[in-house]
Amino acid sequence: MTTATIEKQPTSAPTPAPAQTSGQRPLQAKPTTLLVGLDLGTNKSCLLVGPAGSADITVSKVVPSVVGYVKDGIVDGIITGNARILFGEEAIDQMLHVELVAPLAEGVISHPESARDFMQHIRQLADPSGKAEIRAVVGVPANADEEAREAIRRSAIGVFARILLIPEPFLAALGYRDDSRVKQPGYVDPVVNSLFIDIGGGTSDLCLVQGYFPTKEDQISIPFAGDAIDALLFDELNRTYPNNGLSKITVREIKETNAYVGPSRKPMDIKVVIGGKSRTLELGDAIGNACNTLIDKIYPALTMLIASASSDSVVTLLQNIIITGGGSQIKGIDTVLQKRLSDDGYESPKVRLAGQDFQRYVAIGALKAARAARENQWQVLFT
Amino acid sequence: MTALSLLAEALKRFDPPWMEVGRIFRRICFLRAEGLAEEARRAEEFELAEAITRASKGSESEFESESILHAVLTGEKERVCDAIAFAEILVPMLAERLGAKVSPIRAAAHVPRKAQARAPEAPRDIADFIDDMIRQDKSA
Repeated sequence: MTTATIEKQPTSAPTPAPAQTSGQRPLQAKPTTLLVGLDLGTNKSCLLVGPAGSADITVSKVVPSVVGYVKDGIVDGIITGNARILFGEEAIDQMLHVELVAPLAEGVISHPESARDFMQHIRQLADPSGKAEIRAVVGVPANADEEAREAIRRSAIGVFARILLIPEPFLAALGYRDDSRVKQPGYVDPVVNSLFIDIGGGTSDLCLVQGYFPTKEDQISIPFAGDAIDALLFDELNRTYPNNGLSKITVREIKETNAYVGPSRKPMDIKVVIGGKSRTLELGDAIGNACNTLIDKIYPALTMLIASASSDSVVTLLQNIIITGGGSQIKGIDTVLQKRLSDDGYESPKVRLAGQDFQRYVAIGALKAARAARENQWQVLFT
Repeated sequence: MTALSLLAEALKRFDPPWMEVGRIFRRICFLRAEGLAEEARRAEEFELAEAITRASKGSESEFESESILHAVLTGEKERVCDAIAFAEILVPMLAERLGAKVSPIRAAAHVPRKAQARAPEAPRDIADFIDDMIRQDKSA
C-alpha cells in the first residue's frame, strides 16, 4: 500500500515550537498549500491551481499528455537548455529530436515511468518554486479499477502530498454547475438530475448524476473515444489513399477540424501536403463513418442509464443530457443523439453541449472538490 | 382486548404489507451493522416510511397499527442480532473450509443487489459526495 486515508483529524493542538535562540537551527516556515484540480487525459490534461483557503486560480493550463525523451546524439543548443526531457507542446514541436511517449492509453496509465515524469511536470507548472505542499484531486475514468487508481497514486508519490481520485463525469457535472445560480429559481442544477457524457481521447464516460454520489451502476465507461476515431480514420485513409505518409498527429488534426456525425457530408475536400506536394483528399465518408461509430458505441450505454433512472426522475433527466470533453466538438453530435432518442420514443429528450469550456470542466470540478474536501478525506501519499 | 383479537392482531404481522415493512427494516439493521449509516438513514426516511404508511392503511386503528409496527420492528431487530451472532460463528468456520474470506455481517445480510432506481436527491455539500464515494470504495 502506498496510500492511507486519514481517519481522524488531529484533535490536539500542535506542539508549540520552541523559541528561536542564537545557535539553534532557524525555524522553518510552514509550506504554502496549493490545491490542484487535474484532468489527467489520454491526449490532453488540464490543470487548475489555487491556494488553499482562497477562491483564486493561479494556474490554468491545458497540456498535451505527452513526454519527449531527447534522442542520443542531438547537437548542443538544438534543445533549449539542453534539456533531456520535454513535455506537451514543446515535446511535439521537437518531435524530430525526441522519442514521444504517451503516459496514458484508454484513460489509464500505460507507461508508468513517463507518467511519473509527466506528474513532475504538472507539479512544476503548479508550483514553480517547488516548495509548496500540493494536494490534488485527479479525475479518473468512470469505473476505473483499483489497479488503474493505484497506478495514478504511484505516479504521484513524491509529487503531491495528498490525493483524491474522483470519477471524471461526476467532476464534469460539478465543474459545469454554476454555483452562483444554484439557489436561483429556474436554474436547473446539473448535480441534481442529469446525465453526463464525457468523450475524451481514451474513453467515453457516461454518468447519471442525481444528487448522490454515483454508484458503479450509474456509470459506464466505454473504451472508444477520440483515439479510436483517429485509428479508424487513419486506417481508412491508408486504404483509400495508400502510401499517403500522413502522420497520426496530422490525421488527428484533420479530425479535430472536420469531425461530424449524421448523414454523409460528402464531398468534404481537405488539403494536405503529401511528399511535399499539396493534394486535395475527399474525406467526407471516411470522417463520417469513423465518427458515427462513436454514436453506435455510446447510444446503447445512454439508453441503459436512462432505463435505470427512477420513473419519477426520468422525464426531467431526459431534458438534461450534457455532452462534454473533446468529443463534444464533433459537429452534430447533440442533434444526432437527441433525434435518435426521440425516434425511439423517449419523451422530449434534450441533448446539449457543455460549451466552450469543454476541456476544463473536469479540472474545474476537481478544484471545487479539492477546496471542499475535509482533512480526513485526503489520501496521504507516502514516499 | 380479547384473546381472539390479540391473536388476530398478531397474525396481521404476516400480512404482505407488514412483511414488506419487516424486510426493509431488516435491511436497515444490516446496513447499520455494516457502518453504512447514511444509506440506512435514507432507507429509513424514504422506503421504510412509505412502507409503513401503506401497511397502516389496512389497520383498523392507529393503536392497532402501532402495536403491529412495534412487534414487527422488535421481531426483526432480534432476528438480525441472532443472524449476525450466528454468522459470526459459522462464517469463519465455512471460510476456513472453503479458503475464502467473507465478512460475517455481509454474509448474514444477504441483501440482494438488484439495480434499484433511486430518486434524485436534493443537492448536498461536495464533501458529503466525497464521503459517499469513500464509503462506496470501502464497501467494494
